[in-house]
Amino acid sequence: MFEARIKQGAVLKKVLDSVKDLVTDANFEADPVEGFKLQAMDSSHVSLVSLKLHADGFEHYRCDRALTMGMNLANMAKMLKCAGNDDAITMKADDAGDTVTFMFESPDQQKISDFELKLMDIDSEHLGIPETDYDVTLRMPSVEFQRICRDLASIGDTVGISVTKDGVKFSTTGDIGEANITVRQNSEDDKDKMIAIELGAPVSLTFALRYLNSFTKATPLCDQVIVRLSPNLPVVVQYAVTEVGYVSYFLAPKIEDDDAM
Amino acid sequence: MFGVTKEGHSVCAHVHGFEPYFYASVPENFGEADCAAFRRRLNEEVSAARKNAPGVHVVDVSLERKQSLMHYSDVKDRLFAKITMGLPNMVSAARGILEKGFSVPGVRDGAFTTYPTFESNIVYALRFMVDCAVVGGNWIEFPVNSYTVRAKKASHCQIEVDIMYDKLISHPAEGEYSKLAPFRILSVDIECAGRKGHFPDAQLDPVIQIATLVTEQGSDKPIIRAVWTLDTCAPIVGADVLSFKDERELLRNWGNFLRGCDPDLLIGYNIVNFDFPYLLERAEKLGVADFPYWGRLIGTKVRMRDTVFSSKAYGTHESKEISCEGRVQFDMLRAIQRDYKLSSYSLNAVSAHFLGEQKEDVHYSAISELQNGTPETRRRLAVYCLKDAYLPQRLLDKLMYMYNYIEMARVTGVPLNYLLTRGQSIKVMSQLLRKARQRNMLIPHHVKQGGGNVQAEGGVAYEGATVLDAKAGYYEMPIATLDFASLYPSIMMAHNLCYSTLVPKDKVGKLNPDDYGTSPSGDTFVKASKVKGILPEILEELLGARKRAKADLKKATDPLQKAVLDGRQLALKVSANSVYGFTGAMVGQLPCLEISSSTTAYGRTMIDHTKKMVEEKYRTVNGYTGNAEVIYGDTDSVMIKFNTPDLAESMKLGEEAAVYVSETFLKPIKLEFEKVYWPYLLISKKRYAGLLWTNTENYDKMDTKGIETVRRDNCLLVRQVIETVLEKILKQRDVQGAVKYVQSTIADLLMNRLDFSQLVITKGFTKEADSYGVKMAHIELAQRMRQRDPATAPVVGDRIAYVIIKAAKNAKAYEKSEDPIFALDNNLPIDTKHYLDHYLTKPLLRIFEPILHNAQSVLLHGEHTRRIAQPTPTAKAGGIMQFAKIRLSCIGCRAPISDEKMSKSLCKNCLNDESQHLRKALASVNNLEGDFNRLWTQCQRCQGSLHQDVLCTSRDCPIFYRRKKVQKDLTEATAQLRRFDW
Repeated sequence: MFEARIKQGAVLKKVLDSVKDLVTDANFEADPVEGFKLQAMDSSHVSLVSLKLHADGFEHYRCDRALTMGMNLANMAKMLKCAGNDDAITMKADDAGDTVTFMFESPDQQKISDFELKLMDIDSEHLGIPETDYDVTLRMPSVEFQRICRDLASIGDTVGISVTKDGVKFSTTGDIGEANITVRQNSEDDKDKMIAIELGAPVSLTFALRYLNSFTKATPLCDQVIVRLSPNLPVVVQYAVTEVGYVSYFLAPKIEDDDAM
Repeated sequence: MFGVTKEGHSVCAHVHGFEPYFYASVPENFGEADCAAFRRRLNEEVSAARKNAPGVHVVDVSLERKQSLMHYSDVKDRLFAKITMGLPNMVSAARGILEKGFSVPGVRDGAFTTYPTFESNIVYALRFMVDCAVVGGNWIEFPVNSYTVRAKKASHCQIEVDIMYDKLISHPAEGEYSKLAPFRILSVDIECAGRKGHFPDAQLDPVIQIATLVTEQGSDKPIIRAVWTLDTCAPIVGADVLSFKDERELLRNWGNFLRGCDPDLLIGYNIVNFDFPYLLERAEKLGVADFPYWGRLIGTKVRMRDTVFSSKAYGTHESKEISCEGRVQFDMLRAIQRDYKLSSYSLNAVSAHFLGEQKEDVHYSAISELQNGTPETRRRLAVYCLKDAYLPQRLLDKLMYMYNYIEMARVTGVPLNYLLTRGQSIKVMSQLLRKARQRNMLIPHHVKQGGGNVQAEGGVAYEGATVLDAKAGYYEMPIATLDFASLYPSIMMAHNLCYSTLVPKDKVGKLNPDDYGTSPSGDTFVKASKVKGILPEILEELLGARKRAKADLKKATDPLQKAVLDGRQLALKVSANSVYGFTGAMVGQLPCLEISSSTTAYGRTMIDHTKKMVEEKYRTVNGYTGNAEVIYGDTDSVMIKFNTPDLAESMKLGEEAAVYVSETFLKPIKLEFEKVYWPYLLISKKRYAGLLWTNTENYDKMDTKGIETVRRDNCLLVRQVIETVLEKILKQRDVQGAVKYVQSTIADLLMNRLDFSQLVITKGFTKEADSYGVKMAHIELAQRMRQRDPATAPVVGDRIAYVIIKAAKNAKAYEKSEDPIFALDNNLPIDTKHYLDHYLTKPLLRIFEPILHNAQSVLLHGEHTRRIAQPTPTAKAGGIMQFAKIRLSCIGCRAPISDEKMSKSLCKNCLNDESQHLRKALASVNNLEGDFNRLWTQCQRCQGSLHQDVLCTSRDCPIFYRRKKVQKDLTEATAQLRRFDW
């Protein structure tokens, strides 16, 4: 038996919105200790998304044994869309069942809706990115990061990110010209403005903007995004889900002249 | 003229005395005296056109009374000048002058005059054949004492004679003379040592082997099997191996052999565009001066030039033309491309299709390695090469090309090589000429209208055949089909449509209204009672001959004779039908749109008429079981639903209706009851499927039209699914079974359980990417493959096989193509959704929509689509896989394994059933091992040796992909089994 209730249903909706563009079908895992997780590659196996909602982040969490639930994210989104933003959402599934139930309760308990989604049987492997220490950890307003990615994508396909003491430079070139955006560290306390760079060694890497832009779908989740970089390792773009967990994206860097799409 | 005697001796006859000539229309007052002046003036003009070359170009001008083929006229004959030229190639020069016009003193007072020419565009050889009544593949007798045997031969033939052209006796192909001559057939295949990553280039890469097979027509055992190899080669049972140290020697020796063995026919696979040009270019490069003398005339070099052959019926092909006197080149590739629609024309695919036999396919980059190995590896190559030479011969026999083509040549009266190198119209022309000659008529030379887009230049497009609206649906009642027997030819015969019966519009008024008929398209033709047209006469003969051939065929017992007769009746049918096309071909030799548009117009009214008559007569009020309904009709057939569930009754009614309607038509137009479809699935115009019955006991076969079973650019999966579905619906009448089958196939597709070979799509790589306007999946793939490894990447001319893999969202289709082998090796996920949406959905819905009302949701969204597999690509595939680590998960329930010390294979919940899971894993390994062994030995058998590794990488072969896939699965299954600590 698995049962998890989250008070702000909007959080779950946002979490789903942040991954449904990248992944079509995926296995969600409910673990008795670790909580509710998802790990999947996008269909072109260039990026990987890792989502984790801690067990104690839920208002109520019960999971008797580890469960794997395969879902089509588009169909799941269809159902969650029916929940009001203030509704509390409860997910329920039987150990041997082939459905998952979403229950939406309006704040005043006036309206209770039950949606049952048929599960899929998805045969795929579990993947993980080994944990490492990154040379650079960059924190910046998530809206700002989204803006940069969107702007650059209109010019070129890839972005070069180079981090030095002076700041972070995002640059791209395209058919019509080139663009460079540099942001510098500041000492603002306001989360809407704060930019912090932890620099172990300068790093310069290139990534496909198409994926970074998909990642920024998670922007509504939190004010600050954490970007971690190391040479020859995938970039980590992490959004915290306030008090509940996180959504992390991994994207392999482009190697020179390698058309690894 | 070259030929063979009954004993198989080759003959070269020098025929003398035949001079090229043509006709020109001259005024009635043109007298004998004017001929000389005319000849002199024309001679001057011709020599002026030929840079003042002196000499007599125009040999003779004489007067004859003949009639023009074009238009009906009361005047029986008119005056024509017969102009005889010195050399065949001067005919066109003289024609140009006459048509442009010039002045002759004494004729019309020396005024500048143009003369329409007749029969001036006829090839010299054809002219000769028509005049001597010689047809292709004909027996010719030289009467005793009419010829002299040459002592000093000018050719390589065994017998060489001189004879005057009027001494020849041509025997029609009847009785004893219908036999085929014992032609000597030489089949050839060469192998070249290519460099890595390049298609062999004659400038650089040596010819390393030539395999040759000599057979006599009519015998099934080759006389000679031999292979010429560069460097040593281990002996091969049943074949001569000639090894050479020097490539020049090899070529020279083979050239000598060719001349010595003196074959009539050279066959092979793609010889015209690859093997022969390669040999010639190579010999030139190496300076083997005495090599390119393949013709029968001593000292005549083989010449090669590029040609573009373009025909409406066969499409456009670029090719090489190799002149080789006295030997017909019969390229099997070209013949098969012409006559059959296949998904792949590789020799392998073709022989698999017709002979049910595969051959190993050694990629040309692997050939060099074999060559540089030991005598043993070269022997392998030689065996492979011999097989390649043997297969065309087998195909030739199996498809009875000799019979069919010789018969076609005999029927239409053209030389054998015209059949492959020329279009349809030359055949009709040849018949027309023969007929016109008998009638003392002349064929006008048609001046082509600048070619190109005829309609834009004022040509009229005429309306084609009628297609009655299809009432789509699935019919469980028998549907009777009535066909017009040879519709167009019989219309032309019935209404006497011909060049010579066409009445010009302004002359219609002068005729007696009983003597002519006006077609629904408004053109007038004289009736047969007045004068019979030439085309109807040709058609009558063709159809009559076909009837006889068919009757003989029924009586014939000897399989060889049967083959000849069947070949003949087929040739006759094709020829009869091409007459109509000839009149409609705007760029053809003698188009006459009045005839073709009238033909189709009559056809249209007849179909409508039939529909009306049938629907009016067969009604319940007239005492019939049900109201008949014409559900579909196309060009020459109508499908009638008599609304009776009884098969026998439908047949009876069908026959009755055929007779009933036929009576209202002019003879010989005849509506025939041919078959009943039961059940019948009518999807739309030109798309239907049904079970065909011609008797009440058993169905004959399943008949489909326009359904994806035949489309060749699809993957195997679609064809297989559609075929099985139709079979289940029509033959077994099991709709539920068909639905289940589709569901399980889709489930297999989503679960990645299907054979790769079923998903592979092949397309030809015909030109470099730059010359395509748009990006195409297979071309893009070729470029990507070249970046990966130029050595094995496909080059122009190859067929590219690809699968569609998953890519980023919104990726274009051309970005998703991938080499099947690469995809398989790296476990790239197949874009199953793409296959489902783009390939399967439409054809399936077309079939099922008339049968099931909720086809889409039942077939495409049911429970079976909820199990999918997402394979994990290998690190080599790039992307995030270079960094991600696969974490162990439970074999039973897929939960990640948290405690590896306890078990590496199962999570703690599933551990109780460990023995069960272990057994499952073990069984799957065993199964796969068995599968793999079977596939491997299958491939070893195919290569003809059970002791050597399999080299074959044939991308056309389903077994190959299967083998690869099983190999892959096996490795995975074994790895999984190892995780159990046992």
